Amino acid sequence: MPTSSFSLTPDQAWQPLPLNEWNESAVRHLLSRLGWTATAAETERTLKEGPVAAMRRYFARLPSFSMPPLVAKIEEETPEIARQVARGDESEKRMARRVARERFREGLFELTIHWLQHAAKPENAPAEKWLLFLSDVWVVGSEKVRNPVMLYQHQELLRAGGLSNYPLLTKALSRSPAMVQYLDLQQNKASAPNENFARELFELFTLGEGNYTENDIKEAARAFTGYRQQTGKFSFQRRQHDSGRKTVFGRTGAFTGDDVIDLVFQQKAAGSFLVREMSRFYLSEHTLPAAYADGLGAWWAKQDYNLGKLVVAFFTSRLFYAPEFRANFIKSPIQYYLGLMQDLSLTPPPLPRRAIASLRQMGQTPFNPPNVRGWVGGKSWINSATLAARRATANALLSPVPEALLNGDERAALRAAGDIGDFTVRPERFIEWAKLSSEECARVMVSLALPRRINDARLLASVAELIDDGSQRRDFTLRAVLATLLESPDYQLC
Amino acid sequence: MNSPHELLPSTRREFLKTGSRGIGLLAFSQFAPSFLVESIAAQAPRAEKDRTILVLVQLAGGNDGLNTVVPFADPLYRRLRPTLALPQEELLRINDSFALHRACAPLHKLLTEGQLGIVQNVGYPNPNRSHFRSMEIWETASASEQFLSTGWLGRYFDNACSGLPEGTPYGVNISNEVPQSFLSEDAHPTFSIATNNRGGRGGRDNTALLEQLLQSPELTNHDHDSNAGYLRHTMMDALVTEKRFQQVLSRYRPGAEYPGNSFAQSLRNTAALIASGNETRVYYVSLGGFDTHVNQGNTHANLLTTLSEGLAAFQRDLTSKQLDGQVLTMTFSEFGRRPNENESKGTDHGTAAPLFVMGSRVKAGLHGKAPNLDVGRNQDLAYSTDFRSVYSTVLDQWLGCDAAKILGGEFRSVGFL
Repeated sequence: MPTSSFSLTPDQAWQPLPLNEWNESAVRHLLSRLGWTATAAETERTLKEGPVAAMRRYFARLPSFSMPPLVAKIEEETPEIARQVARGDESEKRMARRVARERFREGLFELTIHWLQHAAKPENAPAEKWLLFLSDVWVVGSEKVRNPVMLYQHQELLRAGGLSNYPLLTKALSRSPAMVQYLDLQQNKASAPNENFARELFELFTLGEGNYTENDIKEAARAFTGYRQQTGKFSFQRRQHDSGRKTVFGRTGAFTGDDVIDLVFQQKAAGSFLVREMSRFYLSEHTLPAAYADGLGAWWAKQDYNLGKLVVAFFTSRLFYAPEFRANFIKSPIQYYLGLMQDLSLTPPPLPRRAIASLRQMGQTPFNPPNVRGWVGGKSWINSATLAARRATANALLSPVPEALLNGDERAALRAAGDIGDFTVRPERFIEWAKLSSEECARVMVSLALPRRINDARLLASVAELIDDGSQRRDFTLRAVLATLLESPDYQLC
Repeated sequence: MNSPHELLPSTRREFLKTGSRGIGLLAFSQFAPSFLVESIAAQAPRAEKDRTILVLVQLAGGNDGLNTVVPFADPLYRRLRPTLALPQEELLRINDSFALHRACAPLHKLLTEGQLGIVQNVGYPNPNRSHFRSMEIWETASASEQFLSTGWLGRYFDNACSGLPEGTPYGVNISNEVPQSFLSEDAHPTFSIATNNRGGRGGRDNTALLEQLLQSPELTNHDHDSNAGYLRHTMMDALVTEKRFQQVLSRYRPGAEYPGNSFAQSLRNTAALIASGNETRVYYVSLGGFDTHVNQGNTHANLLTTLSEGLAAFQRDLTSKQLDGQVLTMTFSEFGRRPNENESKGTDHGTAAPLFVMGSRVKAGLHGKAPNLDVGRNQDLAYSTDFRSVYSTVLDQWLGCDAAKILGGEFRSVGFL
C-alpha cells in the first residue's frame, strides 16, 4: 500500500483515537478485526465501555484452555508409544508407528474441535484470535508435528507469554518441543549445525529479510545446537552444543541461543517486524510502509517489548480506525466459521466431518498452516472452490444436522457432547421470525448478518420484498434469505 | 421470489439483450462475468461432445460387501452371518457362487444386459477402520500411512484438465460438502449443487437476492483490484454457472422415470447437466447411511433399493439420450464391513468390499478375485484389488490421462473397460 493512500501521516497514525470518533461503526470495526465478528450485544457493551476499558477487559489475561481429555491421555501414553515404536523388528515398529499416528490424529481432531468451541465464545474471541496471530508467526504444523500434546503445549507457551515480554516469549518458543521438531533443531549439533531454525528465527519470526546476513544465520545456528526434545519434553544436550565464539550482528562472544535472541531484540528491525505482521493479520494484506511501522516499532521497543502494551496501542490507534481499513479485509476461513457461530448463536459440533472438513475445504485447517510462512491470507482465500465451500458451510448451519446421514461414531460423539448449545439454527427460530412483518424480518436478517448496513434503506427494502414472496412457508423463505446474506461478498469482508 | 433467475444472463446473447434494458449489469460492466469478457475477446472453443465422463457415487458409512455381492455357495458365509445371511432362494444369481442382494434387481438386470461390472474385494494394505480417515484415504488415493492434502480427482484437474471453456466447472458435486476428492493444488472452478435440489424451488434459490447484493452501491464503488471487487467477480462467475445449471435442471425432460428420493434426483440432475452438453468431466454424487451396526437387515435392503433403482434409472435415461457410451459410473465406500456379524444383528467396520462400475462400455460381470472368507473370529477380509488399481484403470483408460503421475506410482489395471 503506497503511503499516498493513507489518510493519516506517520506522526498521526499511532495517536490514540479521539473519543468523539468512538462510535458504533468504529466499535463494529474493532470487534470484527479483533475477534471473529461484531454481534449486537457485544457492540453495545463495548461502545459503552470505551476503547481503553474494552481492551483491558479483552486482554486482562489470555483465557486458560484445558487440555482435552484424549490429548491428556495421549500425554500419559507418549513414553509407552515411544517404547513401542522403538521395539521389535521392522514390521512391528511399522505397526506401532501406525497405531501411534492414528491415536495422534484422533487427538488432533479433539484438540481442534475443543479449541474451536472455546474460541467461538464471544468473551474468548479477541484473545484466541491474538493466539492465532502469534501462532501464524511462530508456525508449527500438524503435518510434521503429529503429536497433539506438543501442539497443545506450543499454544500453551503462547498463552503463558503472549501478553508480556516478547524476547522472553521468543526464548520460551525456541525451546518449544513442537518447534524443535518442526524446524529440525533436533538435528542441530555442534559437529553438523542445521540452519533451519536460525534462518526462520531471523526471517519469519523476528526481523524479516534484509536485516541479517547469511553469516549471521550460520553463526546463530551454532548457538542453538544441543536443543532437543524427547517424547514431547525439551532438553538441552550440552555435549551437542557448540560453546565456541560466534559473531552475530557484528558482535562476538561464546553466545548461547538466549544470547542470540537478546541480540535480535537490539536490532531496530525487531520492533517494526511484529508491527508489520500485526498489520498484515489484522488490517490489510498490503505491507505497512516502514514510515508507519517504524514509529510504533520504536515505541514498542522502548516499552521493553511488552506485548500487552503493543496490543492496546495498536487497537486504539487512529490508524487502526482509518477509513481506508474499513470493511475491506477478507475474513479467513476460521474467522468466517467462528463468526458464523457467534452471529447465529451456535457452537461448533463435535463432528470432524462437519467442523474440520468445512474449514479444510475453505482452505484453512487449524493447527496446520501450509508451511513455515503461515497462511498468506487476502485474496488467496478466495477461489471458486473455496467460495463454494463457504456457501456450503453457511447453508449447512441453517438446517438441522441430517441425523440419518451420520455414522455411528458421529452419533456417539453427539451423545457424549451433551447439551453444549445448538450446532445449527433451530427451525423454530425461523418460524418465530416468520410471524413478523416483512420489514421487521428484513431488519432482523440484516442486523444478524450485515449489521453495518442496517441503515441501508435500499438493502432493507429489497430484502423485505424478497421475504414477501407469497410463499406458504415464510420460514423457508427466511432461511433462504439469511443464507444469501451470509454467502454474500459483503459478509466475507470485515 | 417470482423468477429468481431472470436477473442474470447466462449467455452473451442474453446479456446483450437484457443489457439494453438496463438490468444493472452494465452498471458494473468491469465486473462482468469472465465468460462474457472471454467470448467477446475470442470465439469460445467448440464443445467437444464426445468426451468421456466419470460419475462417482459415494456410499458413505461403509457398505456391507458380503450382503451386496453374496458368496452364497461358500458355507463359511452362513457361519459368519447366523442371522444376517440372506436366504439363498431370494438372491439374484450372478453365477454358481455369487449373487446380488434381492434389493439389487435393477442392477441385476443391467448386469444381464451387459452394462454392469463388479470389481470384487477392493481395498488397500494396512486398512484403517475410522470413517473419516478411511474415506480420506479413498478420496486422496493415499497409502494408509500417507497423508495427502489433495484429492485424486483434484490432481487429475491439475494435470490433465486444461482446455475447458471458461466458466465450465472441472468437477460438479451433488452433495452437501465439496468432496475431498476434488481438492487440488491449483485453483479450479468446481461446482456444488445441494442434494435436495429438485430443479425448481428449494435447495438454493437465493440467487436473485445475491445478485441484488452484488449490485449494491456500496460495492460498486470499489475498483476491480479491491477485495470487494475480486469477491464480487469470483462470485459472479459462480452465479452465472449456477443460473445456467438451474435452467438446465428445471427444463430437463428425463428419458426415464426416477424415484422421488434425493439420491435419484441427484442422478437425474447429473443426467440433465450431461445431456445439456456441459463439458464437466467429473460428477460426484453421494448416498449416506451405510453404517449399519444395528439391525441392518431392512436398513441395508432399503439402501440397496435406493442405490439400484437410482442407478438403473440414470442408466436408462442416459441410454434414451444416447449418452450411455460417454458415461462411466462407479461406486465406492470407505470400507466394507466385518465378515462376522455382531451381537446387535449388525456389522462393524471392516475392510475390503466390492464396487460397481456401470456403463455401456464396461465389461460386464465379475472382476478381480473374490475374498477368502476363511478368516479368524472377528478378523477382516484381506483385499485382493487395490483401490488405486481401479482409479488407475479409470484415469488411464477412461479419462485418458497419465494415471501414474496422478496416483504417484504404477498400479496394475483391472480389466473392466
